[in-house]
Amino acid sequence: MENEEDESIEETTTDNDEGEEIAEFDGEEISREVVVPGEVLTEDTKNFLPGRGTILNKDRTKIISLNIGLKQINKNYINVIPLKGFYTPRAGDKVIALVTDKNPVKYRLDINAKDEGILKPKNTVKRNRTRGFRGGGSDSAAPSTDKYQIGDILIVKVLSADRLNQPELTTVGQYLGKRRDGIVISINPPKIPRVIGRNGSMIKMLKNLTKSNIFVTQNGRIWLKGENIAYERLLIDAIKKIEREAHTVGLTDRISEYIDNEKKIRGIN
Amino acid sequence: MPLIIKDEYPEKLFREDGKRLDGRDKHELRPIKMEVGVLKNADGSAYLEWGNNKIFCAVYGPRDVHPHYLAKPDKGILRVFYRMATFSVFDRKRPAPGRREKEISMVLGDCLEPLLFLELYPGNSFEVFINVMDADGGTRCACVTAAALALADAGVPMRSLVTAVAVGKIDGELVTDLSGIEDKAGDADLPCAITWFNEEISLLQFDGSMDLKEFDEVLTLAKNALIKIHEIQLNTLKNKYIAIQEEYSGGENKK
Amino acid sequence: MMNTKRVISTIEKNYILNNLRKEERIDGRGLWEYRDWTVKPDVITSAEGSADVTLGDTRIITGLKYDVGTPFPDLPEEGVCTFMAELLPLASPIFERGPPSEQSIELARVVDRGIRHADCVQTKKLCIKANKAVYILFVDLYVINYSGNLIDVGGISSLTTLISSHIPEGKWVDDQIEWTGKYLTGETIVNELPIVTTYGKIGDVIFLDPTLPEELVCDGKISISVTEDKIVSIQKSGLATFSLEEINMLTKKSMEMGKKLRKELNLWQYKVKI
Repeated sequence: MENEEDESIEETTTDNDEGEEIAEFDGEEISREVVVPGEVLTEDTKNFLPGRGTILNKDRTKIISLNIGLKQINKNYINVIPLKGFYTPRAGDKVIALVTDKNPVKYRLDINAKDEGILKPKNTVKRNRTRGFRGGGSDSAAPSTDKYQIGDILIVKVLSADRLNQPELTTVGQYLGKRRDGIVISINPPKIPRVIGRNGSMIKMLKNLTKSNIFVTQNGRIWLKGENIAYERLLIDAIKKIEREAHTVGLTDRISEYIDNEKKIRGIN
Repeated sequence: MPLIIKDEYPEKLFREDGKRLDGRDKHELRPIKMEVGVLKNADGSAYLEWGNNKIFCAVYGPRDVHPHYLAKPDKGILRVFYRMATFSVFDRKRPAPGRREKEISMVLGDCLEPLLFLELYPGNSFEVFINVMDADGGTRCACVTAAALALADAGVPMRSLVTAVAVGKIDGELVTDLSGIEDKAGDADLPCAITWFNEEISLLQFDGSMDLKEFDEVLTLAKNALIKIHEIQLNTLKNKYIAIQEEYSGGENKK
Repeated sequence: MMNTKRVISTIEKNYILNNLRKEERIDGRGLWEYRDWTVKPDVITSAEGSADVTLGDTRIITGLKYDVGTPFPDLPEEGVCTFMAELLPLASPIFERGPPSEQSIELARVVDRGIRHADCVQTKKLCIKANKAVYILFVDLYVINYSGNLIDVGGISSLTTLISSHIPEGKWVDDQIEWTGKYLTGETIVNELPIVTTYGKIGDVIFLDPTLPEELVCDGKISISVTEDKIVSIQKSGLATFSLEEINMLTKKSMEMGKKLRKELNLWQYKVKI
């Protein structure tokens, strides 16, 4: 089993393929109006419907915000894009996870969600691979939990997630598997779309300007590895700035300016 | 050996000029200062200074329930822990949580729970830790107000905020926002809270004596005060973000 | 770096260690630098002395209350000063509710020992009447946000609290206490200022002021309290072992850091005038 350790993730400059679902934060129709829980968004319930982050009041006369966020009108839906919140796993998400516990039949992974994720050993090896004699020995048929250790950082894909059960995860697939170096930082999950930017523009800019590898995932975690610690420090500061200013306009330009300035101040190029 | 300096109650709670001992008019609130996001480790947090009350509140969750048997299979649970620092009161409080703290924790939990959609988080918990570092009357009201801010700051979906204030009667007069000494030496004390999504009372305690007419009147006083405090809550939450937007409003013009 | 739970990732551990070997830390500090301090004295109205001290993101609020009690029979003319620390669950997801943890007791004890052995609190001044009545001071530390190195923050916080204290002065008249209306202030109660400095050790690297991730990955810590010219207390914790040379180096370093902090923070400016 040793020799099939995920070659796919080794030192790849990974591009996030999550650009398309991210557009909401950058959308033109977003107002910059900050709303808070309980705030009335509209009393015109004939023309508008309650969308994400909103609710109708009891008498169905008002649409009300449930979150602190930005008010957004999308066709006839009124949404509130949250400014703070937590990560809810959805099937298909790729997330950075930390192995916190394991036993002979499964790993437990912290994926920064309300429940820990479950990784079964059968989901850590590629299937349909014939080995030796057909059928094989009975012992080689059941994969064990020797592959990863507690404390390992894995990039995993969510196979299934619902409200009641712990999310099930896999490490088989492109970019998935164990990270051997670099560092992981966390930001508030709703700010992640801004770190990616529209069609991945922000992330591309960050990579180019700081000569770093970055992997951003929906659960608020960002894996990064730079040429040296000075670049990594700068990148982390830039990401923290994006997190703080996620709800402002002109962010990509400002961050690029910020990095250029800081490079001069810190004497790195 | 007993302490000789006592927390003595004054004979009168109004000054000669008709103002209260701290210089307030009958229906004037003490100065209120609110901040959100003050504690880095918490998912959401708030700091509230209300007169001499100083309160920190942190929200963690949704997360696993410890101990596990408390978890409910059909909905999440909200747990509130109200604690006072030993030095927050006149005589040093014993460090372990007492009966009063447990009762107030429960009352605060009951007041906050209607705001949340706990059915969305089966098997999980939200934990609200409230620590009173300095107390001067009306702490449970201040705690409700701070906890609502911290929950909103955490991004927990909620129907609305909740706001609380204590009203009461001192020296035969109805007043708003009782201070510590007015609470102890006054005739009646009525802490109450309003959940704004239905504008109904979700916390109500009363100690003292009042006739029906006064009681009716005092609730109106409370409502007026609550509207003002709610305004401060809303502004506190929004200003955290609006201030950053304004820093860069120049960028908007450029675009 | 990641929101901190009990398990810290292997790559973060390696990252911290590799960089410390190159004398680099992710927050940009050198090995012998503190994060930024802020000290606010007398923040709690109900307390007879208090302080709100932060070091980076670590924050402790300390308050002082007093009581009058009978002295210990073997020390009939001396007051008592006790320390308690509470790691509030609001300060970190890794703090739990319930009875005091080992970590909170260690914090209170290390701070206590540093102050007790340094001729800091003038317990003789806390006597109202020998054998009858002395002051008992309670210095209670509340950790509001935990981001590593509680002991150093606890030390500065306790000192600031004692310096900013103001306790009603009592006299023994006709077998009972009579309050003079004056106050005993920090100026009378406090003499020496012991400064405690904490070092972490990972592998063979030693560094000042560990942050939370550094504390979670380090093999052990050592806290050294010094007055202007003496070592007054040492606490080694964790599994790390220190060579004699390392300990000698650290005691010298602590003297140096003690002098520097005493000057930079200038805690005497916080004494109250009544």
